[in-house]
Amino acid sequence: MTGVSLKPRAPFEARVDLSGLTPEVTGPLSLRELEHREVPCGGRSVKLAELFFLEGAPDGVLLVELGDVRLDGVGAGMTKGELIVDGNVGAFAGRGMSGGMLRIGGDAGDFLGSEMSGGRTELAGNAGSHAGAAGSGSRRGLSGGVLQIGGNAGPRAAERQRGGLITIAGDAGEGLATGMIAGTVSVGGSIGPLAGRGMKRGTIFVNAVPELPAGFIDTGTHELVALRLIARRVPELAAMLSGWTHARRIVGDTLIGGQGEVLAGVA
Amino acid sequence: MILNGVEIRDTFAEAFPMVGTRLIVTADTPEWALIAGRTTTGFATSVIGCGCEAGIERTLAPEETPDGRPGVSLLIFAMDFGSLKKVVPLRLGQCVLTCPTTACYAGIETGKRVPLAKTIRYFADGHQISKKIGDKRFWRLPVMEGEFVCDEDTGSVEGVGGGNFLILARSRGEALRAAEAAVAAMVQVPGIILPFPGGVVRSGSKVGSKYKGLFASSNDAYCPTLRGTVPSQLPDEVGSVLEIVIDGVSFEAVAEATRVGITAVCAIGAEGGVVAIDAGNYGGNLGPFHFKLREIMRNGAGETA
Repeated sequence: MTGVSLKPRAPFEARVDLSGLTPEVTGPLSLRELEHREVPCGGRSVKLAELFFLEGAPDGVLLVELGDVRLDGVGAGMTKGELIVDGNVGAFAGRGMSGGMLRIGGDAGDFLGSEMSGGRTELAGNAGSHAGAAGSGSRRGLSGGVLQIGGNAGPRAAERQRGGLITIAGDAGEGLATGMIAGTVSVGGSIGPLAGRGMKRGTIFVNAVPELPAGFIDTGTHELVALRLIARRVPELAAMLSGWTHARRIVGDTLIGGQGEVLAGVA
Repeated sequence: MILNGVEIRDTFAEAFPMVGTRLIVTADTPEWALIAGRTTTGFATSVIGCGCEAGIERTLAPEETPDGRPGVSLLIFAMDFGSLKKVVPLRLGQCVLTCPTTACYAGIETGKRVPLAKTIRYFADGHQISKKIGDKRFWRLPVMEGEFVCDEDTGSVEGVGGGNFLILARSRGEALRAAEAAVAAMVQVPGIILPFPGGVVRSGSKVGSKYKGLFASSNDAYCPTLRGTVPSQLPDEVGSVLEIVIDGVSFEAVAEATRVGITAVCAIGAEGGVVAIDAGNYGGNLGPFHFKLREIMRNGAGETA
């Protein structure tokens, strides 16, 4: 194999914060140096080798075998390289990413890809709340890059998103894209209540017209050239949009003067 | 040099640097894409009088365009970047934005940026919507028909303007037939346009005039009706001369178009009434690009300089 693999020695007794353990940080280190690197675990710092069996040679690729919901901050702050998790992760995975690729084979906790500005995060399973949203105390949700969620997303996904692309193959929870400033989010399944509340700009793609807050105005069904352009230029949306010939365009949130839009496909 | 009875005169075309850009214009049908292309590149034969030189480079199949609709590729050239930045948004706003079903995209990604929707988006009066895809931003402008989609800007190239050759023929009809054959062959060459009507100029010019304020005037040395009254370049058998002017994104593209065009004319040959191929120049003192006819025809387009 290439890169370094981390295999848990035993089930974690406390939450482990891996946010400092990114491929660009570990790449220059030797395997021995990596084993001695300390990470927060519960209320103390623990050497990586106490938590994981480490194999391979650092080269910009990290593989976490047997992921665990107690692993927080996986890939947080990544700028390059590749981090692959075979299993679940905890909260804050990919937070603040600006480059590189994070692949998670299972589910993720809250704040997946929050405040991302670049790079790509791919989640096979379900995400907790606030995926691609702004973190606590921050006004900036995902502003660049791509966050792909293969399953469902919890409440408040894309909250205060201001750029980039979030795709949710399954359902989205309550308050999707609340306060969205710009960017694009697509939902393959259903959408929970209060989607787009306080939305200023940006686009939400959905397959069927959802229930929206009072500040949204239905402008009717339109044939939009932009749909064809996006379907051809954005591979992540190609499958969803290629079957659309028209879209229902619902504009909001007009209660705050917003000009965002929900585009619901019409085949 | 004689090719199929046609004299290739030992001279060269003298051309100038120009700054150019390419626009991809799409529409619901090939017909409307062509209408938009023709309108946008209309009144753009000579930079002297039109501010730019423009033409349709080629038509595009749906699979070649950004939105999967039929389209045209347009090239627009100006003398400097500042002029290009002015003429392109003007033509975009008046000729593409107004044309039913069209959208407009960048056809060149490199070089200095020429504004497209970056300028004309304000037509939407605050209702314009931008969308960033990768590193590119495009705009959606609400219009009465629906939406106009347009890239924010396009790139530019330092190209070549004023490549040319002259077809000297026995009669007007024979000159026209040879010119039409040349144009039909030359438009297949990528990266060039022939900005004059149908690709052909009947009123080639010389620099200056006896009248103050005129930068150019009729090229009397090639006017058959003046033979004998001025220092003429025309033998007695020549009754008509037509010129083909070429602008291109590179020296190589213009040279290749020149070779292809002259080859097509020479295929008609002396039997078809073609007497000679000549070229317009100013003694080599004004333009840095010299297209030497005999070298081009002897060596191919890529080996002359």
